[in-house]
Amino acid sequence: MGTISLKKAGKRYGAVEIIRELDLEIADGEFVVIVGPSGCGKSTLLRMIAGLEATTDGQILIDGRDVTSASPVDRQLAMVFQSYALYPHMTVRQNMGFGLRLAKVPSATARAKIEAAAETLKLTPLLDRYPKELSGGQRQRVAIGRAIVREPVGFLFDEPLSNLDAALRVDMRLEIAKLHRTLGATMIYVTHDQVEAMTLADRIVVMKDGRIMQQGRPRDLYERPANLFVAQFIGSPKMNLLPCRRDQGDRLDLSGEGNLTLAMPGMAAPEQLGARPEHLALVAPESGHCRGVVEASEYLGGNMSVFVRAGRLGLINVSAPADTPFRVGEAVGIRIDESRSSLFDGAGAAIGAHP
Amino acid sequence: MTIARPQTNAPEFRLLATPLVLFLLVFLGFPALVNLIYSVSEVTFETLRQPRFTGLANFLSVWSDAAFWQASWFSLRFGLLTAVLECLLGLFLAIFLSPLIERRSWLMAILMLPLMVAPALVGLMYRLVLHEFVGPVPYYLWTYFGASISFLGPGSAFWTLVVVETLQWTPFTLLLFYMAYQAIPSEIAEASAMDGARSLQRLWFIELPMMGPTIAAALLIRFIDGFRVFDNVYVLTGSGPGGSTASLSIYIYEAFFKQGAIGKAVAASVVLFVASFAVLYGLNALASRRKGAKR
Amino acid sequence: MITILRWFVFAVAAIALNFPVLVTLSTSFKSARELSGNPGLWVQAPTFENYRTVFEVSDRLNIFLYLFNSLTVALMGTVLAVALALPAAYAIARGRIGERTLLPFIVNLRAVPLIIFAIPLYMMFQWLALLDTRLGLGLILTIVNLPLALVILVNAIRDLPAELDEAALMDGANRTQILIKVVTPLCRPAIVTSLIFGFITAWNEFLFGLMLTTSKAVPVTVGASFFFAASGGGVQWGVASAVMIVGALPPMLLGLVMYRQISGSMTAGAVKG
Repeated sequence: MGTISLKKAGKRYGAVEIIRELDLEIADGEFVVIVGPSGCGKSTLLRMIAGLEATTDGQILIDGRDVTSASPVDRQLAMVFQSYALYPHMTVRQNMGFGLRLAKVPSATARAKIEAAAETLKLTPLLDRYPKELSGGQRQRVAIGRAIVREPVGFLFDEPLSNLDAALRVDMRLEIAKLHRTLGATMIYVTHDQVEAMTLADRIVVMKDGRIMQQGRPRDLYERPANLFVAQFIGSPKMNLLPCRRDQGDRLDLSGEGNLTLAMPGMAAPEQLGARPEHLALVAPESGHCRGVVEASEYLGGNMSVFVRAGRLGLINVSAPADTPFRVGEAVGIRIDESRSSLFDGAGAAIGAHP
Repeated sequence: MTIARPQTNAPEFRLLATPLVLFLLVFLGFPALVNLIYSVSEVTFETLRQPRFTGLANFLSVWSDAAFWQASWFSLRFGLLTAVLECLLGLFLAIFLSPLIERRSWLMAILMLPLMVAPALVGLMYRLVLHEFVGPVPYYLWTYFGASISFLGPGSAFWTLVVVETLQWTPFTLLLFYMAYQAIPSEIAEASAMDGARSLQRLWFIELPMMGPTIAAALLIRFIDGFRVFDNVYVLTGSGPGGSTASLSIYIYEAFFKQGAIGKAVAASVVLFVASFAVLYGLNALASRRKGAKR
Repeated sequence: MITILRWFVFAVAAIALNFPVLVTLSTSFKSARELSGNPGLWVQAPTFENYRTVFEVSDRLNIFLYLFNSLTVALMGTVLAVALALPAAYAIARGRIGERTLLPFIVNLRAVPLIIFAIPLYMMFQWLALLDTRLGLGLILTIVNLPLALVILVNAIRDLPAELDEAALMDGANRTQILIKVVTPLCRPAIVTSLIFGFITAWNEFLFGLMLTTSKAVPVTVGASFFFAASGGGVQWGVASAVMIVGALPPMLLGLVMYRQISGSMTAGAVKG
């Protein structure tokens, strides 16, 4: 079992509120990724769940038990730190066994558990080495192994991949995903990297200023962002935002640079249209929803980013096939995929009825 | 990231700090209390347990004691002079010798050796070094210059002590400055070289300013140690000639052990105690204000 | 050319700074007869006679006792200071206990003239019958050593990543266990430095030895001065020199062997002092 729930949990230092009245329900076996810009409180939230930071308001429950003021070890969670936090004076075996030793687990049992975990993580030949003799990826695996042997009800990961180089990060990402499938345990994973969030999560929680902006499956967040912040934060390259105004009925006026028709609720007053670069297409100048002049382009291999200056709509990023023929300075038209764009009102909230 | 403020540990941490606090209370708190009581009491070795309250009489007798002011003046002058001399000499040696020491760190070990010798023993050694019959310094002066001076006589004793103290503690400033000098990133030296700075300009405009905090710290530490000097002065000149080389520490020691003037000695201690902590906390506050301002 | 000048300056500095030690060393190998005719640095007929005399135990002079006293009180003052400072340093560095009160107070203690505590301590020791005991002197040397030990250890613990503590908390360790099993092994270099530096400081201490001991617990810094008036008449300079060398040698050797650690701790004390 491993359900974790936060009920109006809050954290303040004096007058400064880091986390405000946060509600979050995590099911047993779920992989939840918390993302947000630095300073949004995501690490603090994780440390509150771990018991490393005091929770000043509200409650934290694990399997229905109130652990708000329980010590870290009583919560039966394990944590993998950003810096791995391996004990430098202990061998891999001792690092992994430290918690078991403190819990007075019989040494034969401990040995078996350590060796089983080492087997899973391909650490067996390294058991008697010291952390300084290991590579970054190996250290990372030891940190995970230390978490596994204690058979916790849930795993907490605090930006575990940010100290690895790009290639290794992809490998470890796959390994963590595999580990989650094998163990089936609850995992909470904090990162600022939205690619990690998209690839690993059953559910993504996007945070800003100590609050949850949106939570849901990666696809939902990508396709139906609840607000401007999530729309901009999820997805790379960023979503284009085009200032617009409702003309009449379902007709949308793009600041006088063009218009398009979109189904929308009667009372809605959209002010911005959000369209991802891959949902835009370059067409002949007269056949698009709006038009502009190619200002620059970036070749990315499989495709290219074309930056089109479109008058009052500003600079629009269009993802185009790499072999699209055009020249800088050329006039082009832009076609918008109406069915996959979002509308936002003046307060930045998404206009709901739109699919 | 924010530093952890774990919730459940404050009592545990307090427990860990407790032995030290208790130790300090017994060995410093209690004496401080005794100091305060005796400083406003009339007390002799016979009446230690029945001090009689006399108000500020002890402080007045300290205040009107010419020897106290002479000792204060000695400590102040001695502290300032030795601190400045040690820093100048240390700075010169650190920078001038750094090309040699960089490659052979054992040279530093030789220069550091005086720091390992007890100041009291160094004082005793100088009794030999400066002795008019068996001391090498007067001997060489006679041999090569045909004259020598009375190093510990009136007029010269103060300067002799300054030299003795400076020679023992210059290695300290030398070491500090050498480390600060080595810690200057080589990119900065290279950048200033690209800017066309010659080595003297580099020293004056780049390196010395970067060593500024270390120099200030060294001046302060050496002033404090010079101000409270006891060991080497005590064994070398006692307080003579004529009390001219009594530091404040020696003044208090003699008032207590030689004159039995407990009240006066304790009152002088309290004055020194309050003055020291006032100055030190003032400096701390100043330093942290500055740190805050920089941020 | 400039390199030759540098070597010259080094030689002058090395001789000038170490001059008293050199003179004392040379004098300790001179016979009384040679000394009266040759006060210079060079020894013509080296003799060990003075050292023999020093190690002859008499009722009034017992160099073995002084050395033993110095060794015991220095060890005690050093070990006790580190034992008290280490848990407190951990509480200060990680628990933020006394960071604004205890720490500055103890750091300032290093800069306070210790004589101000000497008189009440003398009286206190009289009541407690600790005068002229090794235990009494060892306790005082603990106070002398505490400030630097605390500064060195607080800095060392602050340099350890706090995540190590947190990992240990997640592993179920309490603070005392973390201190013993994680922090102490990782701070070993700083602990060794505090021990070496404390030992040298304690061995070389003079004021409290002078005030608080008279015969049984006299340390060698004080005992050495006894030899100056040994024979009642004039000072036997050869013997006096030998005893000074004997008294100065242990910290000098320790300092030579460990000078790297010591130079590190001096800067630590300076930056925070």
